[in-house]
Amino acid sequence: MPIDGLKIIGESINDSVPSTHQLYNENKMYDIVALAKFQDERGAAYIDVNIGSRPASFMADLVRRIQQVTTKPLSIDTPDMEIAAAGLEAYDMTHSGGQKPILNSISLSRLEMFDLYKQQPFIPILLITEGLDKNKYSIMNSTAQETYSTAKDFVRVAFELIPEFSNDQCILDPGIMPIGGDMEGYFKRLMDSLQLIHDDPDLQGVNMSVGLSNFTVMLPSKRADGSPVKGPLESAFLTLAIPLGLNMVIGTVKRKYQLLDDDHPALQCLKDILQLNGIEVITRVMQFYS
Amino acid sequence: MDNVIEGIALCVERGKISKQSPFPPDMKDQDGADEIAADAIKQGVKPDDLLDGCILGMNRIGEKFSQNKVFVPELLMAAKAMTAVMNHLQPFLESGEVKHKGKFVIGTVSGDLHDIGKNLASMTIKGHGFDVIDLGVDVPVDKFMQTIADNPGCFVGLSALLTTTMGNMEKSVKAIKEKYPDTKVLIGGAPVNQNFCDKIGADFYAADPQGATEYLKQNV
Ligand code: B12
Repeated sequence: MPIDGLKIIGESINDSVPSTHQLYNENKMYDIVALAKFQDERGAAYIDVNIGSRPASFMADLVRRIQQVTTKPLSIDTPDMEIAAAGLEAYDMTHSGGQKPILNSISLSRLEMFDLYKQQPFIPILLITEGLDKNKYSIMNSTAQETYSTAKDFVRVAFELIPEFSNDQCILDPGIMPIGGDMEGYFKRLMDSLQLIHDDPDLQGVNMSVGLSNFTVMLPSKRADGSPVKGPLESAFLTLAIPLGLNMVIGTVKRKYQLLDDDHPALQCLKDILQLNGIEVITRVMQFYS
Repeated sequence: MDNVIEGIALCVERGKISKQSPFPPDMKDQDGADEIAADAIKQGVKPDDLLDGCILGMNRIGEKFSQNKVFVPELLMAAKAMTAVMNHLQPFLESGEVKHKGKFVIGTVSGDLHDIGKNLASMTIKGHGFDVIDLGVDVPVDKFMQTIADNPGCFVGLSALLTTTMGNMEKSVKAIKEKYPDTKVLIGGAPVNQNFCDKIGADFYAADPQGATEYLKQNV
């Protein structure tokens, strides 16, 4: 059963997915568009479109083709201003029942992307993993407090730059790190960031999302007993994060995300990790799958 | 002292750091890399043998990693066990009694903050007896150039994880090759491949750290 209220931004049409990368290179547009249809049918709320560093005109063409087969709104996924502009310009709201596309993503060092709003209104994903230093140079946040304060700054900026902005018209992305390499306490920091944002009355109603598949990259697909590793760990993450306000993920419609019971080994594993440090985190993850 | 070499290799391969570390469960309460290295040195085993044990262990785990038989967590554990041995070797490396196999300068290219893969490469190469100078992430070309100038004969490894920073990798390789044509430059990172390596004129593309150590072995 899908988790009530959790929106999935379908991640398949992404140049960093090897099979999609190959479709792009072989110019198999029909198959790429079919990925949109498949994700739509499997319950994606949005269809992500990432073309890597191909020409902007390619993004425009792909957006038009995808909108022919789905009424789901799209998520235009690029850090590049020109590609974003082309994708948004090609986007036709009448095909998506008047729903705005997502723009994935804007960081405080790329505020000029808000200029595109005039041309086509969108819901921005605001990357709150990085803030700005004194010289306005982008710098990675390294504590939950910093991530939270970037969130506050960013939402304030959005209110200034977007007419009729409201909290529910943006998505905050606090970043997620692979748990299999997390010796620096990123996971704990992420949970703390979600909590701080969730508890702030000024940030009520914001959407929060992470790239969920990133959580389990670098892990084996099966546990020693043959049962899966990644789906349960991702579901365990959701079980902990949804009560803290996470309501969207960039993820796969192929996984059956679910809320886990308290005694589920994957949930136990993540709860333990919140109390552990350094290499102990790695051994706990290995204990889960060995 | 074959049994010392083998003992260390086993601890490194299995990620057994010290006696008290609970992992792996089937080696519980046995001596780990730390104790075996300490004892060996006390008993006058050649420090070079400890290094050979590390190399053997890292090779075995690296090979399994290349074959998808183990994953990043296992590699991290192995690196940790290897570090435990290296700590005992440090005084001998400093005194010159144990010689580094060479110098390796590594960093993630400018604009790119990903470092998990780069760190794995850095640790693995260290475990093969190289003096590794890790410049961190978001490394400007100038910093690579300066470090090469300060460390003649070094190898250089560049990492990039974003398609948008592959251009900076190209710029870095070209700048290095223009000023130091004899310096061997290795590149790695998920979006990078052999074609790209050929195109930008780097010397070697390593899909994983194991590939890099093979290359280094043949080229020192
Ligand atoms: C962890 C991660 C992050 C972390 C990085 C933290 C850190 N300390 O590294 C954070 C959250 C900060 C992050 C940020 C961003 N990320 Co990121 N990230 C990842 C993720 C999930 C894993 C990367 C990783 O560590 N892999 C595991 C390691 C072990 O693999 P590896 O690096 O390839 O290394 C292996 C080999 O390549 C080799 N190797 C690597 N380097 C070298 C060097 C040498 C010399 C040698 C010999 C070998 C070698 O050895 C390793 C072992 O085999 C990937 C997703 C994925 N599926 O890969 C995205 C990913 C790389 N990120 C991506 C993006 C877009 C970003 C952001 C722009 C924003 C965003 N939307 O999240 C920012 C950019 C920040 C910046 N300026 O760099 C995209 C890149 C798309 C593209 N192709 O351009 C990816 C693919 C996610 C996606 N599907 O969209 N990210």
